[in-house]
Amino acid sequence: MAQCVQSVHEFIQDSFVPMVAVLCSEDAEKVTRKNNLNFSELLRPFCRLTSEGHMRDPNNQVQVVKNLRISVNNVVTRPSVPASGTPSLAQRLLLSEVVSTCQPAEGGVANVITAGDYDLNISATTPWFEAYRETFLQSMPAADHEFLNHYLACLLVVSSSEAVPVEKFLKLSQEQHRIQHSGEYTNPKWFIPNTLKYYVLLHDMSQGDEHRADSVYEDMKQRYGAQGCYLLKVNSRTAAAGADEQIPDPWSQYLHKSSLQNGSLVNSLDSTHPLQLDTSGDTPGSLDALRAVAVETKAGTAAAAAASHGACLTLNDHDRIRQFIQEFTFRGLLPHIEKNIRQLNDQLVSRKGLSRSLFSATKKWFGGGKVPEKSIAELKNTSGLLYPPEAPELQIRKMADLCFLVQHYELAYSCYHTAKKDFLSDQAMLYAAGALEMAAVSAFLQGGAPRPYPAHYMDTAIQTYRDVCKNMHLAERCALLSAEILKSQAKFSDAATLLIKMTSEVSGDCDLRSALLLEQAAHCFINMRNPMVRKFAFHMILAGHRFSKAGQKRHALRCYCQAMQVYKGKGWSLAEDHINFTIGRQSFTLRQPENAVSAFRHILTNESQQASSQQAAFLREYLYVYKNVTGVCDVALPQLPLPYINSSATRVYFGHERRLAEGEKQAATHVSLDQEFDRDLAAMWRDLEEQVVASANRGVVPATFQATQCCLNSQTDNLRFPLAVVEEPIIVEVVFRNPLKVPLVLSDVSLLWKFTLKDFSRPQDAAVGDALAFSNEKETLARLKLLPHQTGQLNILGLVYNLASTPSTGGTTVSSSAALKSDGPSPADGTSVRGRQDLEIQGPRLNQTKEEKTSVSHGPDRRLDPTITPPMPLLEVFFLQFPTALLCGEIRKAYVEFCNVSGVPLCGLRVVSTHPDFFTFGSSSLATPLTPLSPTSFENCSAYKTLATPPGATPGSVAAVTLVSAGDFGLGEGGSGTSNGVAEIPLEDRVLKPGQSTQLPLWLRGPDHEGVHEINFLFYYESAVKGGKISHRVLRHTVFICASRSLCVRATACRSNTLPEEEAEEEDERRNGSMLVFVDVENINTNEAGVREFHIAQVSSSSKQWRLHRCINPAEDKDCKLNSRERGKLCFRATRCKPVQGTIMTSIEKYIFADLSLGNEQIISSTTPCADFFFRRCPPSDSRRPPVAVETQGRLSRSQGAGPGGGAEDLTSLVRKCNEVDLDIIVLWKAFVVEDNKQVILEGQLHVALQTIGKEACSLTQKEEAQEMVLLKFKPELPPPMTRPSMEQLSHLIKTNLHYPESYRHPFIHKSLCLVPVTLTLSNCSLAQVDVIIDLRHKTTSPESLEVHGSFTWLGQTQYKLQLRAQEVMRVPLRACFLHAGVYNLGTPRVFAKLADQGAMCETSQQTATPALIIIINDT
Amino acid sequence: MAVCIAVIAKENYPLYIRSVPTQNELKFHYTVHTSLDVVEEKISAVGKAMADQRELYLGLLYPTEDYKVYGYVTNSKMFRKLHNSFTDVMCNPFYNPGDTIQSKAFDGMVSVMMVQAS
Repeated sequence: MAQCVQSVHEFIQDSFVPMVAVLCSEDAEKVTRKNNLNFSELLRPFCRLTSEGHMRDPNNQVQVVKNLRISVNNVVTRPSVPASGTPSLAQRLLLSEVVSTCQPAEGGVANVITAGDYDLNISATTPWFEAYRETFLQSMPAADHEFLNHYLACLLVVSSSEAVPVEKFLKLSQEQHRIQHSGEYTNPKWFIPNTLKYYVLLHDMSQGDEHRADSVYEDMKQRYGAQGCYLLKVNSRTAAAGADEQIPDPWSQYLHKSSLQNGSLVNSLDSTHPLQLDTSGDTPGSLDALRAVAVETKAGTAAAAAASHGACLTLNDHDRIRQFIQEFTFRGLLPHIEKNIRQLNDQLVSRKGLSRSLFSATKKWFGGGKVPEKSIAELKNTSGLLYPPEAPELQIRKMADLCFLVQHYELAYSCYHTAKKDFLSDQAMLYAAGALEMAAVSAFLQGGAPRPYPAHYMDTAIQTYRDVCKNMHLAERCALLSAEILKSQAKFSDAATLLIKMTSEVSGDCDLRSALLLEQAAHCFINMRNPMVRKFAFHMILAGHRFSKAGQKRHALRCYCQAMQVYKGKGWSLAEDHINFTIGRQSFTLRQPENAVSAFRHILTNESQQASSQQAAFLREYLYVYKNVTGVCDVALPQLPLPYINSSATRVYFGHERRLAEGEKQAATHVSLDQEFDRDLAAMWRDLEEQVVASANRGVVPATFQATQCCLNSQTDNLRFPLAVVEEPIIVEVVFRNPLKVPLVLSDVSLLWKFTLKDFSRPQDAAVGDALAFSNEKETLARLKLLPHQTGQLNILGLVYNLASTPSTGGTTVSSSAALKSDGPSPADGTSVRGRQDLEIQGPRLNQTKEEKTSVSHGPDRRLDPTITPPMPLLEVFFLQFPTALLCGEIRKAYVEFCNVSGVPLCGLRVVSTHPDFFTFGSSSLATPLTPLSPTSFENCSAYKTLATPPGATPGSVAAVTLVSAGDFGLGEGGSGTSNGVAEIPLEDRVLKPGQSTQLPLWLRGPDHEGVHEINFLFYYESAVKGGKISHRVLRHTVFICASRSLCVRATACRSNTLPEEEAEEEDERRNGSMLVFVDVENINTNEAGVREFHIAQVSSSSKQWRLHRCINPAEDKDCKLNSRERGKLCFRATRCKPVQGTIMTSIEKYIFADLSLGNEQIISSTTPCADFFFRRCPPSDSRRPPVAVETQGRLSRSQGAGPGGGAEDLTSLVRKCNEVDLDIIVLWKAFVVEDNKQVILEGQLHVALQTIGKEACSLTQKEEAQEMVLLKFKPELPPPMTRPSMEQLSHLIKTNLHYPESYRHPFIHKSLCLVPVTLTLSNCSLAQVDVIIDLRHKTTSPESLEVHGSFTWLGQTQYKLQLRAQEVMRVPLRACFLHAGVYNLGTPRVFAKLADQGAMCETSQQTATPALIIIINDT
Repeated sequence: MAVCIAVIAKENYPLYIRSVPTQNELKFHYTVHTSLDVVEEKISAVGKAMADQRELYLGLLYPTEDYKVYGYVTNSKMFRKLHNSFTDVMCNPFYNPGDTIQSKAFDGMVSVMMVQAS
């Protein structure tokens, strides 16, 4: 049980107090009325006696009476309650009113009880229970079997203003006598036949004559004795004077409560249906009476509401009243009781010996001695047994009660004990139970108790009351007393059992009692030595249930809330949900909608284990409650708990949603919300953007560069405020998750945002949201669009939507597949509420500094806070005739359309790609007009620019030569390495005006490797109006190209040892030398279905120094056609170009394009598609070579004069240089493809770069290179060691040639010596000065020279020491002398060469291995 | 036969709870939860005396009007089976001690022990 304000002793004493009746004359009533009180009310605050009284018991022992309280009541002759034993309706109403008005104080004292893991916050006191108990005990009707609440005395009150007060007293006395003895009234009940009459003369100080009152009092004293009368003087103060004086009002605490009870009781009575009254079994009279009283008091209190009680009483008057009570009690009441006890005792003692035996004897004789055999069932019959009021059996009980009232508990106990035996033997069960009850109580109350508290007495009493007598009222009283006593003895378990027993039966009427008792039982459990928390909680719930049945919503809610503390978060989800649900309901009915909502929210948001039907019910209830809440206060939209929003998964997209295709046009893919975020891809795009930005800013990436992010998600960098453009939508994608098993319907979803205007431009009208609706099952996305109309700062705060459950009409349970209801608000069939949910995105966890690492802090996430900037141009790009599959190296022409869809002109259009060699827009500087013809007219036309070959010319003979600068093709301007992937798009006027669109041709070349290639384009553009917040914008495009194999070209260059034979050749050309180029073409196409055959249309060369001269294929155009898996070989002669051509314009190196057409039309390779792709070939030939080589010429001139200062590096490169060719072969082919029974000619080009003489180059770069794993290197790589040029390399420094006649006729007969002139041509291949030593001395030790028949001798100078300048050709005339005819090998001269400034270290023989045979014929 | 079988964790939250008249589930949950007080009481009382050889049978925990609540017993076959089955669950390497039991075998075992709701 909860702690009580009163102690147990106080409580029990106060439960049984001497009752005093009051009979008041009308005048006296008037006197007290001045104070808004009647007489008994006037006395009530002073009814507790502060001083001790004394009395003597029958044994003349002095008994101290401490702290006695008396109860003074007006005589009410109407029967208040029928003695049926069940509480009347009126009483029930009263009790329920008492309980409901007594509520725990807000934020009142709550003690925390710690039991095991539980910390419970429980209200320590239960004042409502005490109030109930008090009211209950007070409203106990006087019963016949006990006398405790029978009137002991009667105060007869007469005013002194009465004409003849004594007569009035007489009248009242007669009245009292009539009431008690006439038999007209069963109520009130009187204790003893000769009731103590106490005469009180009430004197109004403000009105009456005090002397007269005194004299009347003297007269009364004469008449009734000094101890039987009293003069009470009141109303010393005039009502008018009362205003300025503050007098304590002791009545308020007694009367306020009762008046309130009465007042509201009337209301509740009035509101009850009359039929209900009839059925309740009450006598209507009692109710009417009660109502009458209530109305009466109500009227009184209504008037009194303004004026307080006791307005005419001074503190002196208070003292007088107090004194009066004391006087009455000690001089009147106690002696009266003492006297009666004595009398009764005497009677009993005198009867003692006889009575017992007599009674029992008579009973045995007459009753047949059936006592022992009687079972409880039979005993029931005797429960109705009533003793006459003056029956001798009752005398002992009467004495016991008297003793009890004056606190003589020992005597009381023995009397009760005796009485109990008597009653039991009489089978008077009701009487026996009463005696048992009181015996137990008095045993408990005995000071220094010699005997233990007989709990079984109580149990028997309760059982008897309840089962035999069917008097729940008495049983309840008994239980209350017993429980309180047990509690005081720390027998909490027993007390709880007792209390629970009282509630166990299910009779609907006693819900309030059951609730209160259960609550007390729960408190017992928690107060045990080992607190039983769970039992506490359970009984609290039971109590809450009963409270709610009894209509005590507030108490019910409190009980559930307290129980909740135990169940919360312990995994008992079913119970938890139940409690929450109840709390929600109760809170709602109590108009605490916030609590209701939060309770319901709990049920719904915790991962609910409930069945779906239950969830649906919860949801419906929640929505209903919620709707009512929002109906009350719709100032701010409340937060909704459902569905969950995965805030961090929110994505924000800036810009319009792209149309992917428009007719034949294929729009740039750009970024869309449907794409998943890919970190690698994002990095790739960022790189591309960086490249293009760098190229737009002259090679420097500005410090403020920030990659454009069109779609923000949890993985992007959201530290900065994103920039959005005015009049361009912002799309927010929100991820919802429905934790319930029932579908939710969201409708009218819109974004909640805040907009701060900033003065970027002139103000416009405000932005507007959107509308979107959908139904929801497990996880769903919603995309919401926002269109800003003004510049400023936008903050997207959250979502507003209508939440509804699915309408419960049949067949909707299968609505898992989003029943889209996009039209307007949801129909009225389901309750829907409007609420909001905030989008709060937590930024990434910071992990930079140590502080951040040790603590958990998150960075900002600005995804939802875009800054709206002034308008920017917006580009749309469409592709026409864009292929999806190409052969490797195939050239295709497509068209691109650029559209400026904004209102701002656009400029600086650039494109960057991951595969810059894949496409070209053509070169702008070429004179060739860009034909903006419609693309259809170009169908089946060659992408190349062609010229018909002159009819007379044999194919492959004429090499047309064109000189082209690389700069014309958009390359080389920014130096070797940078911006290789960026191309400016040649727009007319360089500006795209608003609404304007341009179509440009676009040539594509199939990638060199087969497979599927992902090719990414990034279009870059700027606003023509500078100074915006956004410096540029980009547009992404991704295409996938499937490349299949076409041809494989291998080429080798060989040094041709022969000098050009044509006499017509210019000297220079002859000197520069020539080369043989072998081109080996293989058809490696595997797609049998498609390509029928390849034709090699043309072979072109492109180089700075070399050009293809002519085709020297032995077989004519046989090799031009290649079927599947065929291989063809072509052989060309290449010549070095005049150095003049290269040196005239040293600043811009020119490339020489030479076309060798094998067909009937010449493709001009130096023009747009072909040359473009040649230059775009990745990487361009320039960057492939070490930069030293490029500068060699300049350096050479310098190093000529310089000493041996040039390092070995120089030397190496010099030496290598002489072996280098820089010749690119372009093989142009045509493929005949059958497609849909139509023959289509595809064209293409393949590039082979020849770099070193003798080394094979292939159009397919080795795959291994690309796939090679890059080893992780932890040590810095050592610089490559300085290598000397190898012997092999050095041996190629000088090219030697012997010129001699093939056969020589000589008449040996005439002249024995034959002299043959031989010219040794020395040609310096290198670009450095070379010292050459020619040694003609015969030192052939080689075996082959021995084979030669005979020998010959060189004549003349046998050793030459020469110096050859760079690329110089020198002829040395020699003479050989033969003695015999025969075949001789002339190739004996040994040539040593060394670089001029390198000393001997690099000397090497320049032996040509080939024998030079000469036939000497004897010319006879 | 049992109408409700619950396995409760040491920290007094339900690892497994199942009852046969499913409409009255809530009531059983409450009853089981309330009985835990008695279990706690009994365990703490026994624990002082002999912590090691604690009798696993706790006997009648809590009589309600309709049902009787028993603590874990070993002397009846029913409870031994339950114990064995529970041990099996615990031996499952994928079972995380403290989680609610979601085992088909255990479920089936419990079903056998339950009153067959007709």
